[in-house]
Amino acid sequence: MTDLLLLLPVLIITSGAILLMLLAAFENVRDEIACFGAMVIFLFGFCMQLFGLGQGDARIFSGVFNEMLVGNSFTAVAGLIITACGFFTCLSSHTYFKQNRFITSEYYALTAFAASGMMLLTMAQELITAFISLEIMSLAIYVLVGMHRRNIKATEAVLKYLMLGAFAGGFFAMGSALMYGGTGSTKFAEIAGFISANGFFASSILVVGAFFILVALLFKIAAFPFHAWVVDVYDGAAMPVTGFMATALKTAVFAVFANFLILDGGLQASWVEYLFYIAVFTMFGGNLIAIGQNSLKRMLAASGIVHSGYLLIALVAFTSRDFTANVIVFYLAAYAVATMGMFAALSYLSGEDEQRITFDDFRGLAKVRPFSAAAISIFLLSMAGIPPTVGFMGKFYIIVNAINAGQVLLAVLAIVSSVISMWYYLRLIITMYFHEARDDFAVAKSPLAQATTFFLVFCVFALSLLPVSV
Amino acid sequence: MEMEQTVTYLVLIPLMPLVGALVIGLLHMFTCTTRPLSERLYGILGVTGPVIATILAVKTFFELKGMPEEGRYFSQKVFTWFNVGELDVAMGFLADPLSVLMLLFVTFIGTLIHFYSIGYMAGDENFGKFFAYLNLFLGSMLILVLADGPVVMFVGWEGVGLCSYLLISFYSKERDNVLAGNKAFIVNRIGDLGFILGMSLLFWAIGSGGFDYLSLRENASALAPGMGLAICLLLFVGATGKSAQIPLYVWLPDAMAGPTPVSALIHAATMVTAGVYMVARFSFLYVQAPLAGAVVAWVGILTALLAAIFGMFQKDIKKVLAYSTVSQLGYMFAGVGVAAYSAGIFHVFTHAFFKALLFLGAGSVICALHHQQDIWKMGGLKAKMPTTYWTMLIGCLALAGCPLLSGFFSKDEILYMALANGYPGVWLVGVLVAAMTAYYTFRMFFLVFHGSARDEEAYAHAKESPKVMTVPLVILAIGAVFAGYLNLPAIFGGHQQVTHWLAGSLVEHHPHASLGLELLAIAASIAAFAIGAFIAYRKFGQGAEEPEFQGFAKFAYNLFYVDQFYHAVIVRPYKAFGAAIQRTLEPYVTDGHVKLSSLLYQLIGQAFKVFQVGYVRIYAIYMVIGLSLMSLFLSQTLN
Repeated sequence: MTDLLLLLPVLIITSGAILLMLLAAFENVRDEIACFGAMVIFLFGFCMQLFGLGQGDARIFSGVFNEMLVGNSFTAVAGLIITACGFFTCLSSHTYFKQNRFITSEYYALTAFAASGMMLLTMAQELITAFISLEIMSLAIYVLVGMHRRNIKATEAVLKYLMLGAFAGGFFAMGSALMYGGTGSTKFAEIAGFISANGFFASSILVVGAFFILVALLFKIAAFPFHAWVVDVYDGAAMPVTGFMATALKTAVFAVFANFLILDGGLQASWVEYLFYIAVFTMFGGNLIAIGQNSLKRMLAASGIVHSGYLLIALVAFTSRDFTANVIVFYLAAYAVATMGMFAALSYLSGEDEQRITFDDFRGLAKVRPFSAAAISIFLLSMAGIPPTVGFMGKFYIIVNAINAGQVLLAVLAIVSSVISMWYYLRLIITMYFHEARDDFAVAKSPLAQATTFFLVFCVFALSLLPVSV
Repeated sequence: MEMEQTVTYLVLIPLMPLVGALVIGLLHMFTCTTRPLSERLYGILGVTGPVIATILAVKTFFELKGMPEEGRYFSQKVFTWFNVGELDVAMGFLADPLSVLMLLFVTFIGTLIHFYSIGYMAGDENFGKFFAYLNLFLGSMLILVLADGPVVMFVGWEGVGLCSYLLISFYSKERDNVLAGNKAFIVNRIGDLGFILGMSLLFWAIGSGGFDYLSLRENASALAPGMGLAICLLLFVGATGKSAQIPLYVWLPDAMAGPTPVSALIHAATMVTAGVYMVARFSFLYVQAPLAGAVVAWVGILTALLAAIFGMFQKDIKKVLAYSTVSQLGYMFAGVGVAAYSAGIFHVFTHAFFKALLFLGAGSVICALHHQQDIWKMGGLKAKMPTTYWTMLIGCLALAGCPLLSGFFSKDEILYMALANGYPGVWLVGVLVAAMTAYYTFRMFFLVFHGSARDEEAYAHAKESPKVMTVPLVILAIGAVFAGYLNLPAIFGGHQQVTHWLAGSLVEHHPHASLGLELLAIAASIAAFAIGAFIAYRKFGQGAEEPEFQGFAKFAYNLFYVDQFYHAVIVRPYKAFGAAIQRTLEPYVTDGHVKLSSLLYQLIGQAFKVFQVGYVRIYAIYMVIGLSLMSLFLSQTLN
């Protein structure tokens, strides 16, 4: 019974998703109903997850379902982020699809399916489980990206994503097989046991297998040099979907990455050197790509690469299991809040058929919609890491963690990188505030995306007060 | 015996006004341009938070009173705020005798001022905004008072600084008001720097054992004497900013630009008392650094003297009161400086009543005369405004130190302690200032209420203020009379309850001076009051004409040209320095690099954009190249 308690939030989301999918079969079920249904489901899942977290250590599950899943505060917080992102995505979608009319009722069901895959992924303790969860998530996301079938950009995006994703999925499957060959198990704990007993380089099959899995995970988090897809895919997807991918998907993959690499898999020591370079290249590569972008969506996609770089630092600079896990999950939450907020704002500001999408389109927004402009500025400042926002605290902990682990160079590079990133964050603020408005910035009637934006502004400040114990 | 000393409701005391501020602020923000809400709603929302805070403060007081005298405190840790290295700071609150005493009058007087504001601000277009700020102000002050350590105190410290800025420049359509707000903010920032430095040194020296008052107090003996002195002086710099002492007192008179209830709040219940409170809070540091105490005492009493001189020549009713506040604050610092912390705090307490009363009374007069503030244009208002007249009379008597009223007892206590603790110089100046206080207080009083009207037209329209304004006046007047009896010294047959109450929070030694010394102090205080008041009556009691200031009077009326001096010595050179940098350094040294790096950014950005070609095959090739490089690296390691 307790095993099922762990799964309760996932079960809620999954059964909700199935229910929504069934409802979508009826002609007279309107999109609105599906949307509100999805909101309820996500909110319910969130509350149950929060309830579980509130129970503290009494609710740590280890070795449930024959050691295939784990439940602890790390996975619970990751689950919270994912369900919250799902909820806010639904809110933004409601507004967004008032002006971009290509929605079908299945949209919300797919969002919930993706979320359930993500939540399973965070808890996965075993390679096959991880692979299945990864595919549940990815398949739903592929469809969401290509939702707008008549739009050439969306079609292009889904094709790219699908092909490269399949490429990465192949690596993951192959890597799992090799790992199994090398260690005789697919369970993280047993792999860790094997490595600590025999050493990482004892079995070359294991090395290659681990390597392949690393590649697959790096692809999913868009680390350099596996990042190229992300800009095009984010650009092609609908605004709320992009927001969902940028936040929830990244949280899920990072959670499994952290679980596999350090928390439960014990592989960190053998990969530190690559990850060091990958982290550096990811930060700076992402920055340089972001600088050249004119489209906000592409800029945000590229800035997502940079944030993956910061998160990789936390994986490289492993101090203690608890602190590193807390740092990662805090940064994920910080990033999710700001990014979700940005995409919620863009969901209603981009207008019909996403007509306002470049930096120039947002000229003088502050004159016409001062609150929206202020909210966007706060999100951007949070992403750039300016106090007193949550983004600052997230970066602060990442850097403290790096210094504690002796990776001072990485810490310095992270700071340099965040200075560089000011370029494109401030650029939008300048555009919004220091130019005359040419547009009336008419928005859809539904106020939900606006409400999301302002609620997330509150979160940017509120979450920054949450402490992370060192 | 370990008592349960953690409670859960302390946080609510500052939270209530803060929530009020948020709610009112949001309501105002979203409705002010489209459909403004009624003032009644804002008024009710505005007083709710302070009223609940007051009730909770009283509850805290009684619970604290029920505890045994030693270890009399409550604390609450709401959450760990941050935890870096040795610095572990919780968002924590502490209710001990000192903070609860402050709490009681801050909430009580703050609430009265809120009620009064409903009447005073009626009809203002930014009524809602005003109450949001006022609530925020009170909430910040409550954080400051209830904080369990210097860091949380600093949050409140900065909060009141911000709110004073917002409220002083509240009538922001006039440039002067905005400048006054700026001045208050900037001058306070200078003081804050001292506070931050003092706090940092304190942490550096003894912060590793916990950075809250209780731990600091335990570890204070480990402090090196020189370090202790430096910390005390730096903290005092902070206090001079917030509590308007030499040399940073210049902002307070200008702060009159705000609405009168704000002046009352700044001068009586919040903000300026913060510095005195802080010094008393750190009494365990100041007792170890007698030199710092002497500096505090002398700065205090000289400020009192200077402000009293200025006060004697002002013609704006609020300026007179402003300088009287600076002067009284000087007394308080003299009190805490001579290590009579409870006397200093007690004067804060009584002063809060009569100063709030005087400001609200002045506000009532100003309202009646349609925002006329020049005392040389008033006169004879006694007949028109009886409630205001009688309450103001009580306030003036208390301020002037009339025997049997609150101000007398608390001021006398400070002066007596100065004498008893070996500061005869401070005492002598203090007595002189007492006489001057009596003089300028009654000068103002007689000019406003007695004699004949100087401005017939305004006089004809003047009428008593509405109940919502006069009732707070009456309540405060009762406080101004009786607050002093809470700490009646033995010589008057009292038991010094406040001093005993505060004993748990302060580190204070009570000297056993002779009865003769005490009688001398009392006699001198009474004489000072009598002389000052008598001269004022002779000069102004029967009506007087506005004099043409000459010589010293002109010099004092112009405030010794201190503002001009600061402007010439600090502000102008500073601006010139900035301008010089703008002319030389910026175009020739920094701009080039900045523009170059900006260009570089664009070039690199464009270059990297090229890699985003958009072909899947190319992207796959990137992956393969990356994979190959990593494999190469891997094979290197394997060999």
